Amino acid sequence: MRRFGLVLLATTALSGCHMPGQPQPGPEVPRPEAVMSFAQLYGENCSGCHGADGRNGSAMELANPLYLAIIDDAALRNIITNGEKGTLMPGFGNAAGGNLTDEQVNALVSGMRAKWAKPNVLSGMTAPAWKASHPGDATRGAAVYAQACARCHGNTPQKPGPAGSILDGSFLALVNDQTIRTIVIAGRDDIGQPDWRNVMPGRALTDAEITDLSVWLIAQTPPHPGHPYPGTQPLAPHTR
Amino acid sequence: MPWYRRTYDWLERRLQLEGPIKDAVLHPVPKSTASWWYVFGSASAVLLVLQVVTGILLALVYSPSASHAWNILQVLNQQVPLGWFLRAMHGWGSNFMVAVVVIHMAQVFLFGAYKFPRELTWIIGVFLLLLTLGMAFTGQVLRFDQDAYWGLAIGASILGRVPWIGGQLVHLMLGGPIINGATLTRFFALHVFILPGTLLVLTVLHVWMVVKLGINEWPMPGRLVRRETYIQEYNELAHKDGLPFFPGAAWKDAYFAAAILLAVAICAAIFGPYGPTGTPDPTVINTVPRPDPPFLWIYTVLSYLPPEMETPFLLIVPPIAIAVLLGLPFVAGVGEKSWWRRPVAVFTVMFLAVCWASFTHLATSTPWSPKMNAWSGSPIPTAFLEHRTPLERQGANVFQEKQCRNCHSIGGSGGERGPALDDVATRLTEDQLIRQVLLGGGNMPAYGSTLSPPETTALVRFLNTLHPNYQPAASDASRAVAEQGGVPPASTVEPGNGQHKTQ
Ligand code: HEC
Ligand code: HEC
Ligand code: HEC
Repeated sequence: MRRFGLVLLATTALSGCHMPGQPQPGPEVPRPEAVMSFAQLYGENCSGCHGADGRNGSAMELANPLYLAIIDDAALRNIITNGEKGTLMPGFGNAAGGNLTDEQVNALVSGMRAKWAKPNVLSGMTAPAWKASHPGDATRGAAVYAQACARCHGNTPQKPGPAGSILDGSFLALVNDQTIRTIVIAGRDDIGQPDWRNVMPGRALTDAEITDLSVWLIAQTPPHPGHPYPGTQPLAPHTR
Repeated sequence: MPWYRRTYDWLERRLQLEGPIKDAVLHPVPKSTASWWYVFGSASAVLLVLQVVTGILLALVYSPSASHAWNILQVLNQQVPLGWFLRAMHGWGSNFMVAVVVIHMAQVFLFGAYKFPRELTWIIGVFLLLLTLGMAFTGQVLRFDQDAYWGLAIGASILGRVPWIGGQLVHLMLGGPIINGATLTRFFALHVFILPGTLLVLTVLHVWMVVKLGINEWPMPGRLVRRETYIQEYNELAHKDGLPFFPGAAWKDAYFAAAILLAVAICAAIFGPYGPTGTPDPTVINTVPRPDPPFLWIYTVLSYLPPEMETPFLLIVPPIAIAVLLGLPFVAGVGEKSWWRRPVAVFTVMFLAVCWASFTHLATSTPWSPKMNAWSGSPIPTAFLEHRTPLERQGANVFQEKQCRNCHSIGGSGGERGPALDDVATRLTEDQLIRQVLLGGGNMPAYGSTLSPPETTALVRFLNTLHPNYQPAASDASRAVAEQGGVPPASTVEPGNGQHKTQ
């Protein structure tokens, strides 16, 4: 009788309380397209370049409330799905050869907003639009650079400022005007890049100035960027 | 006479089993065999019974259909009360059984118990080992998840290498040219009828011979086995200095078997059932399938073999290994039994154990295979990005985007196929870094055609920052000289005509 009681006790203990080995609900390894948790999607697909918490990564700071305030969902979805041409941001959507479904891209977008966006970051100011509204005038951009950027980034690639050169040919070849525009407007508080309100001493940059500046910067890309012997012609056509 | 006594007598009169069973149970064995070293054989048998019982319970629910198998395991895990525990018991029972059978075999080998007159017991034991491994493999296939799929694919590719009949063998194993529904029914038949049937029959034979030939006496250095005298010596030992098997030696077996069952239950409760991992869908490529524990070492061996060695190794080594095991009692059937006098035997066991342990350990971290999502999922530690120029930062982007991270770790995360690059700049100069990246070599692909010059520049600038603060990056002394027009910086010699760099 006592033994029977013990067995009964053991069985109820096993079925009643949760043993560490008892499987969690849902499959142990869900199909990749079934993953919907923002933490997992972001952690596996984005953290490698954009940083563990959307900050301090090698690529753009995504956990930047200012950034999330100027970009809309459609633009975010488009970049995540198709990548950003002219930069190292790859496309993650199924259509672009990546392995995220539309629903997963949506989960990323809403997750980024839920986790990192803050209301009233602009505190009444209207920030320049994320996307440039007109082509821009490169000749006027040079002056903006000299006023707003040169003190930290230097006047020529050979004489970089304290924050490193952004006139370097290879650097310019790996970014596009949108990268520059985004960084100038939203800043990167994780690495010390001021936003559009603070980058120039005294006043905020205007939308037109930012447009001109980014066009001018990209126009500074040399014809054969990254070539170790700039004076010579490359031997074979580049793959890019 | 009470009713049960009458029933018993009625049965016994017809079956007449009492005599033989009493004989077997009460037969004298040398006292020295009542040792804790002699419990592994009976424990294997007990585990076999556990596997049969849990296996039958599982078979009540399982269905060997490619479209249902995975879901049914899911139902067992989630919905059937204690279904997960049943699966876990069967899975862990399998691991324990393989382990105990192997330990049993090593013990028998070290104690010289395979020698005359127990040669056939050993040979059947070898087949029991193979059947146990066969059960473990076919059982893993029945899970029909990613791991099963992988195991089958490897199994098929091994069979496919057999000369001349490889194709037919694969067809026979898979029930078609590819892994499909018929494959699963085939393995179901193997796992629940063919292999266990053979296993049970051979086990009965094996135990029968153990009982009939007597349990091996404790080996004494210098007490040699001779065909002419051994039986007589053994009988003397068993009768003079012996005790009845039951309960003299059996209580240790019972305790050990109980402890093993408890260990299986604890592992099952704590670690839970095996999988099922992802569905067996070859289009899901982002998986790291791994075989069950008994086969992890094979995984390592196959991964480290150079490709040209694979076929000879796979086709030659297993038959030789089995032949050696089967031939052992014929080659060394008499003579010394004690391990004190058999150093080669002891070292063989130790060597195999160390190899097995290190291969298995390696297989749990699979350093040879790239980590497929490190490029997008392993952040570069902040310390490696602090106070970097925008170009170096882009270099880190290139490093991730070109998936270098899948083979190279930084800050302890990333693939381990290539060396960790945390301080690569102390080892390689800028030119050497460029060479390595563009030309690859030594298991690293060449990136010359996939990296544009700006990407290469940015990447190498980033790599060149990978050194500790207290140690400068390696530099090429001759570079400074070349930049001075071929003249060492402190030289007083004027450069001659044509020695100036034309710029
Ligand atoms: C291989 C590295 C890499 C990975 C992985 C990566 N990104 Fe990017 N991403 C970049 C780069 C490079 C840029 C361009 C900006 C820059 O140079 O910092 C960029 C730009 C972006 C931008 C646009 C910034 C702008 O200009 O407005 C968004 C949004 C973005 N990434 C989101 C993501 C999300 C979400 C993921 C995960 C699904 C992801 N990225 C994964 C490298 C990466
Ligand atoms: C107060 C100093 C300061 C000024 C002014 C400044 N920057 Fe920066 N900028 C920084 C710092 C600091 C960094 C981070 C450098 C690093 O660690 O890579 C940076 C980085 C950048 C980057 C690279 C960001 C990245 O993700 O790698 C760009 C592009 C950039 N700045 C553009 C500009 C432009 C355009 C201007 C002028 C409108 C400007 N900056 C003005 C300090 C400044
Ligand atoms: C398929 C895996 C793989 C990939 C992808 C890969 N590597 Fe390697 N890499 C290796 C291996 C293996 C070695 C060791 C080569 C040897 O033994 O000579 C190596 C060596 C190196 C070394 C020399 C390290 C040293 O300490 O000598 C550098 C630098 C390097 N790789 C950089 C890169 C970069 C940059 C990329 C991306 C463009 C990359 N690797 C991509 C496997 C890889």
